[in-house]
Amino acid sequence: MPIVNIDASWLNELLEKPYPPQQLIDALDQIGCDVEEVVELPRYRCPQCQALVEGSLGADTVKQCSLCGFTQMQPFEIVDTITAIRLDLLAARPDLFDIGGLVRALQGYLGEKKGLPSFTSTRSDIIVNVDPSVCQPNSYRPFLRCAVIELPSVDDRMLVALMKLQENLHWGVGRDRKLASIGIYDLDTIKGPITYKTLHPDDEPFVPLGVSEPMSGRKILSEHSKGIAYAHLLANHDRYPVLVDADGHVLSMPPIINSERTKIKIGSHRLFVDVTGISIAAVENTLHTLVSSLVELGATIRTVRIVQDEKELETPDLTPKQAIVDLSQAKQWLGLPLDAHTLMESLFRMRLDVEPIDESKTRFRVRYPAFRSDIRHTVDVFEDVAIGFGFQNIQAKLVPTMTVGSSRTEEQTSDLARTILLGLGYSEIMSLPMTTESDHYERFRMPVPNRYPRVGNPKLKALTVVRQHLMSGVMQALHDNRRRPMPQRLFEIDNVALLDDEAPTGCREERRVCFVEMGKDAGYATARSILDAMLREMGVEAAYSATQQPWFTAGRAARFQAGSFEGILGELHPEVILAFGLDHPVALVEVTLGSLRSWPIPHPRTTERSS
Amino acid sequence: MIAPVVLTETAKKVWEAVRAGPKDVADVVQTTQLDQSLVMVAALEAQQQGFFDVKERVRLELDPVPDAAARLQQGLPERQALRLLIDAGGSLSVPDFTQRAQAQGLPVHEIFRWGSARGWVERTKGQPPMVRVTDAGRLAVDEPADDERALRLALEGTRFLDEQALQGVDPVAVEQLLGKRTDLAKLRKRTQRILSLTTQGLEALSRAKVKREQNALAPEDFQSGAWRDITLRPYDVTLPGKTVYPAKIHPLRKIMEQTRRAFLELGFEEVVSPMVESAFWNFDALFQPQDHPARDMQDTFYMLDPARIPLPPPEVVEPVRRTHEHGGDTGSTGWGYKWSEREAERVVLRTHTTAATIRALAAHPNPPYKAFCVGWTYRNETISFKHLPVFHQIEGIVIDEQASLATLLGTLTAFYQKMGFAKVRFKPAFYPYTEPSVDVMVYMESRGKWIEMGGSGIFRPEVSEPFGCKHPVLAWGLGLERLAMLRLGFSDIRQLYQGSLDAMEEVALCR
Repeated sequence: MPIVNIDASWLNELLEKPYPPQQLIDALDQIGCDVEEVVELPRYRCPQCQALVEGSLGADTVKQCSLCGFTQMQPFEIVDTITAIRLDLLAARPDLFDIGGLVRALQGYLGEKKGLPSFTSTRSDIIVNVDPSVCQPNSYRPFLRCAVIELPSVDDRMLVALMKLQENLHWGVGRDRKLASIGIYDLDTIKGPITYKTLHPDDEPFVPLGVSEPMSGRKILSEHSKGIAYAHLLANHDRYPVLVDADGHVLSMPPIINSERTKIKIGSHRLFVDVTGISIAAVENTLHTLVSSLVELGATIRTVRIVQDEKELETPDLTPKQAIVDLSQAKQWLGLPLDAHTLMESLFRMRLDVEPIDESKTRFRVRYPAFRSDIRHTVDVFEDVAIGFGFQNIQAKLVPTMTVGSSRTEEQTSDLARTILLGLGYSEIMSLPMTTESDHYERFRMPVPNRYPRVGNPKLKALTVVRQHLMSGVMQALHDNRRRPMPQRLFEIDNVALLDDEAPTGCREERRVCFVEMGKDAGYATARSILDAMLREMGVEAAYSATQQPWFTAGRAARFQAGSFEGILGELHPEVILAFGLDHPVALVEVTLGSLRSWPIPHPRTTERSS
Repeated sequence: MIAPVVLTETAKKVWEAVRAGPKDVADVVQTTQLDQSLVMVAALEAQQQGFFDVKERVRLELDPVPDAAARLQQGLPERQALRLLIDAGGSLSVPDFTQRAQAQGLPVHEIFRWGSARGWVERTKGQPPMVRVTDAGRLAVDEPADDERALRLALEGTRFLDEQALQGVDPVAVEQLLGKRTDLAKLRKRTQRILSLTTQGLEALSRAKVKREQNALAPEDFQSGAWRDITLRPYDVTLPGKTVYPAKIHPLRKIMEQTRRAFLELGFEEVVSPMVESAFWNFDALFQPQDHPARDMQDTFYMLDPARIPLPPPEVVEPVRRTHEHGGDTGSTGWGYKWSEREAERVVLRTHTTAATIRALAAHPNPPYKAFCVGWTYRNETISFKHLPVFHQIEGIVIDEQASLATLLGTLTAFYQKMGFAKVRFKPAFYPYTEPSVDVMVYMESRGKWIEMGGSGIFRPEVSEPFGCKHPVLAWGLGLERLAMLRLGFSDIRQLYQGSLDAMEEVALCR
């Protein structure tokens, strides 16, 4: 999960009140943010582009600029040190990714402001024409939304925050630029109208950010660091999307990189923002979130006219959306002592507008900002009611309905087996249910079968097998304990998974117990007496027959079947013992636990069902 | 009349052994043929009662190494060097001396060390440096030194320095010369205890009665009634017993069992679901969009075999499909995409036990119903102190007409209090299939901080309604290993699955 550093003093400046850090942290916690810690963070200045660069935890110095990529051997010069609140980003709430969005939420939660923030906008004179080629399958990135942002002036910290927000929106909404990606430009370097079109990879080279020579699209993808990192997003394209201004200057090649000549810098005060992508929801959400946050930092929004398929569109459209909320439903869902007043106050606190739509104040119209893409059902508004009400104010209680608890029969059987084996001096071990072909088959002298429950994509190459017997785990445990005094006795009880085409998921599970004894006197006879004791205690009468298995010594192995119980026991073959790095005889028993005949007493049906 | 003193047979023997006068414990052991520890027990008991006087003195014992006799016979190197130098006229240049000594097989550094220590030889600076015999050396040439005499006495059996002193050996010189010459002999401190009867003891002995004393009673002692005359030797009850460990339930299993019991006590039905699971139940049934990053190959184990399994019947699948595509009848906007059966047919190792509870919900959509599951879950991770690719989750649902956020918090508080965490706290969270979503935290007194235990919430209607469930469904997925590590005091998750029984034995069952 990415982390964002929020400058506590800037936060207070925007809140227009000096809140102590702990109060801010508590409030952030109670609106759902994951506060990692508060740290003192140095900030550096890039000697190349003069941008502020935040230090990172654990690194004493900074030698690379996060904005322009400039790197030098000498550490950068420290500018100052800020008190930073470190937050884990909440993937579901991009509107809380940056200081602007957090200020908006905190103003509501701390009672500074309430209700829907206003996002007024006026028209700019910028027009963007969309060329139909962006909708072609071989150059598909059809959606474009734009905005113009006016600011008094972009300063140091705003530039850092803007770049960070762009990066985080790429992560959180854009799926790493696949669904949506953002371009931000200094509007004073652009002459409208702008065209969104596609280019042949070798046409119209331009100077991308961070270099000084013009590069073609193809060259950018193969040589520029950002191009290499995101080339996969254009892998199926034979023409690349670009934004070009009236003079034919390339603004950017989405979703890869902007041009050097249009880049924003300290002192820029008119910005052009575009978001392109393959998901209209992600594109709009990205743009709405970005511009709404900037409004909290003092920006004014101006709309852009987009002409596509002979249709015209003014974006961004920040018109609030609506939902209807029923007070009694909210009360039921949340179990809170809500009335019309507390419901409304809770939502105002969450920066939503709410008004009753009937005389009796039982139903309410809620208006929420365009960027709240997480709201897709009235229960999402209920969540805001709960947070606005304050989680710490909730009176926890239990459902009063009587129900009867009941455990699974295999757990009861397992519990009995465990009690018996512990009583016989066997210690319990637990091992992971994933293993390797080598540990599961080869070390037991079994050929690797053609079919077995097999994982296709493990990160750890070793873990490819879901276990079908418990022998690997107990043998590994014997190996781990080989220096302990003999004899050693241990067991494991768990499920195994067996391929079974009849089973609904293609795999059947069985509850098994596997126990081993290792020592000079361990053998079929000692194992058999333990197994006999276990089965006797469980009321299972078993008949045994000789069996031959590659992992057992010939003539020293048996199997039994008794009702739903079955099992196998024997003396392990010396090659198996040696394969696990051991040098003492090992007797091993593996039993599939069935259901017991006379126990447990069938439990009563949990409850009457209402239908 | 003064009551007679009752002595055990052992004590009587010890008392008798010193009746004639003070005696060393070793002598008493020899006379009585008793074990030394028994002699001491009797002596100390008598001392406490004022009958015995126990005097301790520390003696130095000289213990020559096995070849000491031969080396003494041959002459210690410095003594041989003395002769060599006197034969050469009393002095030699150091190189010359070295060459000659080495020709005789003498260790030169020892000669210088011990020869100088004795004051027999000295080295002078100059060109070349010289080594010469001192006057003391000349006097000593035919006279055995104190330590040599002491060694010889020790080899003959007189090993204590105080005894040797009686034969004219100076113990101080011996200690100086042999204290550090451990390649020749070891000097050990020995505590000698001299036992004697006090006047009171002597008087008591004259009228002492004897009582039999044993370590344990034999069957005959019970049958014959002899136990009446037998004293069982008292033990020092402050000493620890021998360390043994019971065969134990695995500590993680024990916490799992406590977890199960907690939910059973709260009236929950235990449910299970397959570990090898369809993407349908693992993801789609939970309204997880098919392009969600959690479904990525990076995070989820996909099975090669079985690779695909048929979907449940259409009456189960259709409402789910419709909900994904446009919200269906749930009042939601849905995800607005074309839902793929092929994607839902893929087989995964379940990434959460929510697959078990959603299956339970589908089978029992009507209230009241409470179900829980503790089971393995799989994430495509590498192994580290924090993460394992396989771990357990504690899952549960409550379907109830009175299920609500408030009762969710109440249920989880009850659970964690049963698990030994008095303070439980909640904060808002954002999870894809619950609304509201809640993070559960418990307070660890020992660490002085709140620790996050897992996520919970109320299933979105998009999750519960396609299965015909019209009531709020409380749901949670909590970490078992995290809870176990806190309880057991582990800091590395791998400790839970390591096979070392030594380590597990150290984990007390009460933890």
